[in-house]
Amino acid sequence: MVPTNSQGIFRFTLVQRLFHAFLLVSFLIQAATGLGRMTMETGWGRGVLSIFGGYDASRDVHIFVGRLMLVVLLIHIIYLMTKVDWKHLPKSLWSQDSLVPRPADVRQFFQHLGWMLGMRKYPEFDRWGYWEKFDYWAVFWGMVVIGGTGLLMTYPFWSTGFMPGWGLNVAFWVHRIEAILAIAHVFIIHFFIAHLRRSSFPMDRAMFSGNAGLSLTRHERSAWVERLEADGGMNALMVPQDAGIVKTVHFVVGCTAVVIGLYLLIGAAISVFQITW
Amino acid sequence: MIPEEIMRQREQKHFRQVLLPLLLVGTFGASFLNVHAQEEVASAIRRYKDREASTGYYEAYEVRPQRSMPLVQIPGVQRGLFPYSPTSAQTRIRTRLTDSHLGIKFYNGRRCVDCHPEQARDIHTIRANLTCRQCHGGEPIASNEHYFSPMNPIRRHAYICAKCHPGASASYAAYIIHEPNPALAGTLKSFPVLAWAFWIMVAIAVGTFVLFLPHTLLWGIREIFMKKHGEAGNHGTDK
Ligand code: HEC
Ligand code: HEC
Ligand code: HEC
Repeated sequence: MVPTNSQGIFRFTLVQRLFHAFLLVSFLIQAATGLGRMTMETGWGRGVLSIFGGYDASRDVHIFVGRLMLVVLLIHIIYLMTKVDWKHLPKSLWSQDSLVPRPADVRQFFQHLGWMLGMRKYPEFDRWGYWEKFDYWAVFWGMVVIGGTGLLMTYPFWSTGFMPGWGLNVAFWVHRIEAILAIAHVFIIHFFIAHLRRSSFPMDRAMFSGNAGLSLTRHERSAWVERLEADGGMNALMVPQDAGIVKTVHFVVGCTAVVIGLYLLIGAAISVFQITW
Repeated sequence: MIPEEIMRQREQKHFRQVLLPLLLVGTFGASFLNVHAQEEVASAIRRYKDREASTGYYEAYEVRPQRSMPLVQIPGVQRGLFPYSPTSAQTRIRTRLTDSHLGIKFYNGRRCVDCHPEQARDIHTIRANLTCRQCHGGEPIASNEHYFSPMNPIRRHAYICAKCHPGASASYAAYIIHEPNPALAGTLKSFPVLAWAFWIMVAIAVGTFVLFLPHTLLWGIREIFMKKHGEAGNHGTDK
């Protein structure tokens, strides 16, 4: 069977999509409760908090979801361990299907920049672009930094057993700045790449449906498609692209997340000028 | 025997002629009494543990009472007929006083934040809406390092913090309540670890955005001028 352009190429398993969906929901909740508490002096902040039952209840929600995210992070790490090709270590870590950064990613980053400025050819991306690898590892880093400082503050009597109490002041600020970084990155850069770019507008549904349109992928990730065609792995990855109600549901969920995210981003950006620093 | 009817009439007359005027005069007169002191925390958000089991309503006003009875004194508070001397402030070690405001003029009747604006910008005051006295106690406000002060670090965790954070340890009480703003230059001296952590985190955040904001914007602009995929041109050839 010759693949046609109307087909999709399989990119994400159900488990991977569930991880993403969990992150989507939990991240929005943490952003709302966190930004709400930060701006609780303003009407906007208290309005956001009232959805979760007010200032105190939001803290409980924030801590509960935070713990849940750390548990899911652990599950994800276990999942990762089962996916590593242990037999061919360490070569398998640097394969094209792996998310581990390679020197080629740096090269492609600059080539991509050159293309944007009209100076170079579009890079031949393989399965993962450098921005996707960055997003993946950024979540790891964020989870460790925000989750770690969050744990210190959730269990202050435990943490002040091995660090002085003023460590909580430090943990609080590290938590806050890293969270603002994560929120701004997701709500500006990640959303832009997945929704506003012309080739993904109005929404890149690959992370929801699990597959990406073949014709787009052929251009966006030419090295991957060529590699698959060369080693005959292509047919196994061809799936019909979903349509109708499923497509609509994915679209609505994705765009709702964007609207919530932008509401939080803009509301908080205005409110930070009205709070005590 | 007075009939019941007459009794009732007398009562009503009594009410009209005596009680009612008294009530009116009383209500009118009461409005002249100054029963309001300035409230410490003006925010209406919420006040943590404002009702304590012992006293009912937690001390709502942080100023000293405006009038005191000349003959009824709290022992130890009265400091003689001329309590202040112009030099007293210079000769006392202020962090070791039983009354940290000893010798400070115009203390009575003023709000704490009038003189200590920097101490009213922390999470406990702004968000949890604590009053200063919930930690610093009633008059006289002891200096933080005074030997008998409940705020002395040797017992602060037990006497102050554990009221609301049961189980607080001495290490826990080393949390800096009146946290300096980490972005201010002075914090590099007063709380260097906080200042460094702050600036390192800010550098990471700013670095990320300096890299990715222009990158993403450029990318978006470039794609507008890209030929549609699937047509003759593609990402590579439409330069
Ligand atoms: C008239 C201005 C004024 C008012 C009002 C005032 N203070 Fe003070 N306070 C001072 C000055 C001046 C000092 C001594 C200088 C210093 O240590 O900062 C001081 C010292 C203190 C200290 C001791 C600081 C230490 O190093 O141990 C505490 C605690 C304190 N004030 C709390 C309060 C509280 C709580 C209130 C409200 C009930 C209050 N102050 C109202 C001026 C004032
Ligand atoms: C949660 C308890 C708490 C509350 C509420 C609180 N303080 Fe303090 N205050 C402290 C502690 C503890 C210190 C010792 C230094 C530190 O940790 O910042 C302190 C120190 C101070 C000092 C000495 C200077 C300094 O910053 O170290 C002053 C002055 C002071 N407080 C005034 C106030 C005023 C005014 C208020 C009300 C707006 C207030 N405090 C509310 C706990 C509190
Ligand atoms: C009258 C009650 C009360 C007292 C006394 C009190 N606290 Fe608190 N504290 C609170 C409340 C309420 C919060 C929650 C604030 C919030 O939700 O933002 C809090 C929060 C905290 C936090 C977490 C702050 C953060 O970054 O989220 C720390 C740490 C803390 N207190 C330390 C102390 C220490 C140390 C003392 C003793 C000097 C003390 N508290 C005294 C009521 C109190």
